[in-house]
Amino acid sequence: MKKVFAAIMIVALVGTMTLFAAGGQEAAPSSVNVGFIGPMTGDYANYGNLISKGALVAIDEKNAAGGIAGKIKINLIIEDSEGEPQKGLAGIEKLSSSDKIVALIGPVFTGVSFAVGQRVQDEGLMMVTPSGTHKDITEIGNYVFRTVASDGLQGDVSGHYFYEALGVRNLAVLYVKNDYSQGLYEGTKASFESRGGKVVIAETAQIGDKDFKTQLTKIRAAAPDAIYIPNYTAEMAQILEQASQLGMKIPFLSSDGFSNPEIYDLAPAYTDGVIYVGPTQVAESAAYKKFVADYTAKWGFAPDSFATNAYDAAYILFDALEKVYAQTGKFDRKAIRDAFAATKDFPGVTGTINFAENGDLVAYQGVYKVDKTTPKYVGTFTVVDGKLVEVK
Amino acid sequence: MGSSAEFFQHLMNGLTLGGIYALIALGYTMVYGILKFINFAHGDILMVGSYIGLFIFDAIRGQSLGPWTIIAFFIAMLGGMIFSAGLGMAIERIAYKPLRKATRLAPLLSAIGVSFILSNMAAWMWGTKSRKLEYPFDNSPLYIGEVSITPHQILILIVVIVMMISLKLFVDRSRIGKAMRATSLDQDTAKLMGIKADRIIAITFAIGSALAATAGFLIALEIKVYPSMGTMTGLKAFVAAVVGGIGNISGAMVGGILLGLLETFGVALLGIPYGLRDTIAFVALIIILLVKPEGLLGKVEKEKV
Repeated sequence: MKKVFAAIMIVALVGTMTLFAAGGQEAAPSSVNVGFIGPMTGDYANYGNLISKGALVAIDEKNAAGGIAGKIKINLIIEDSEGEPQKGLAGIEKLSSSDKIVALIGPVFTGVSFAVGQRVQDEGLMMVTPSGTHKDITEIGNYVFRTVASDGLQGDVSGHYFYEALGVRNLAVLYVKNDYSQGLYEGTKASFESRGGKVVIAETAQIGDKDFKTQLTKIRAAAPDAIYIPNYTAEMAQILEQASQLGMKIPFLSSDGFSNPEIYDLAPAYTDGVIYVGPTQVAESAAYKKFVADYTAKWGFAPDSFATNAYDAAYILFDALEKVYAQTGKFDRKAIRDAFAATKDFPGVTGTINFAENGDLVAYQGVYKVDKTTPKYVGTFTVVDGKLVEVK
Repeated sequence: MGSSAEFFQHLMNGLTLGGIYALIALGYTMVYGILKFINFAHGDILMVGSYIGLFIFDAIRGQSLGPWTIIAFFIAMLGGMIFSAGLGMAIERIAYKPLRKATRLAPLLSAIGVSFILSNMAAWMWGTKSRKLEYPFDNSPLYIGEVSITPHQILILIVVIVMMISLKLFVDRSRIGKAMRATSLDQDTAKLMGIKADRIIAITFAIGSALAATAGFLIALEIKVYPSMGTMTGLKAFVAAVVGGIGNISGAMVGGILLGLLETFGVALLGIPYGLRDTIAFVALIIILLVKPEGLLGKVEKEKV
């Protein structure tokens, strides 16, 4: 009898403690966790490194100013995906259930964004990718956002720009078989051929490949006007170098993957003349200059465009957290998603930010031409009713 | 560009790839010839040798390209070879020799274990990011007609040919080479004839590992240095050794070159999709095992009673 009594007492005690603990958290959370998923080690580590540090700059600034509502500190919990969907899923599992994050910044890569996006959608947790560009990512559902332009637009602008502005008629493509590269290849091919151009040869490779000589030799034999390589820097560096060794002189065209400055470390001798379609150049606003200066001072290197996107994503998220906390005194995942979606004319360092109905960033594309190892801005473009339009 | 130029371009690419496979295959085949055992850590020894070569080269080369750079390159290559040779002997002594009398499966499993240890140690010590090995010369292509040949490809072909001829001469003409052949033929009888079999086995591991390091250092110029660089290349070289006739040194050379050409032309001319490129080697392996299990140059071995 005594034992039963003791057991009941213990259960009651534990129950009360849990109640108090939960109640205490509801009343005054002292900190809130935000997740980040990206490649932090391996050949793609530079993407994750630069981008996570963009978010960290925003979080450190916000925390220095007191945090949410002036008292709740924000923690960024980083999980390494190595750029692989499987590892990204393990990351979101931990972030969501063990770290109890209220929102996710990332994932960095398209393939990982697809896997993780489905997960957060099912769980009712919002994510905002600063760099996942495949047009279908935001189709996953209403919990998936991005602060980077969709490839749908990138492919459209690429195809039209190559045909109209560069006068390319016969295009070769060498792309890696992953969601990112294949998505850009398909989008660009569709818009390029809608204008009357022809993709004369499309060669593929696997992610992580180092030897592209066989494909390049075939492309050389097909004698195209230009070759489009919408890949990541590790592959593009190999492709550019080996093309040069095969004596290929045709122009190289690329995608936003080329906007990571690491390409100039990997293949500095071969980047001259490459033209790529990527993020628009940010108007030289005071806020942007301050961000670049702060980031550079803090980390010792400059941010790329994705890092800037991550910084903006973090601040839009802070706004949503502030709103939700002010109204409810806690951080409900669904309420945060709704507040984030309601963002209107947010003054980000990349410009004024709005989200389309599907969670896509309302955006334009920038075109760059590399002079030796320095990208020079050509202009800002978009496609309206099947026509290339330069935005002044 | 004419199709004959395209053909010769693929031929050039295939020959250099094949030369590399051949160099690595020699290590597999020599060890198998003597111990009837596949050293699955061979590809990882290649990787470690490449890292060591890279470190030496970066430490001693100057900033500008000059005649010293190419000398520094060969010194670094030699350093990687010596280190790998030592590593190969050490692994043999620690992980394989104690298992020589155990079942045939035991050293094989031990080799797989060593392979994992080496690649994980490398990832832990040096990171998983690829490291660039700078060309010791200007690698702009030279042209023969429309076919482009890079100084790098010429370097590979020269080194491969020099290594193969020296190895062949060493094994066929030198006293140690003779002892190696004797040990391979019949270890116990060789011992009775006064050959120190253990020493010969150690030397075999040293030579095979040094050749692997050479191959690794040569391809590192193009594919860079990273912890898993030896895995796929090593497996394919193993296939090359089997196709040529495992245990047979000339067979490994022929098998390697053949595989390099097969992979290049399979994709380029036979229309095998690029995604299946890595499967060509293994399909070739299965076919050869079905049709001519002793390999192209291998001899049918009678079961010893």
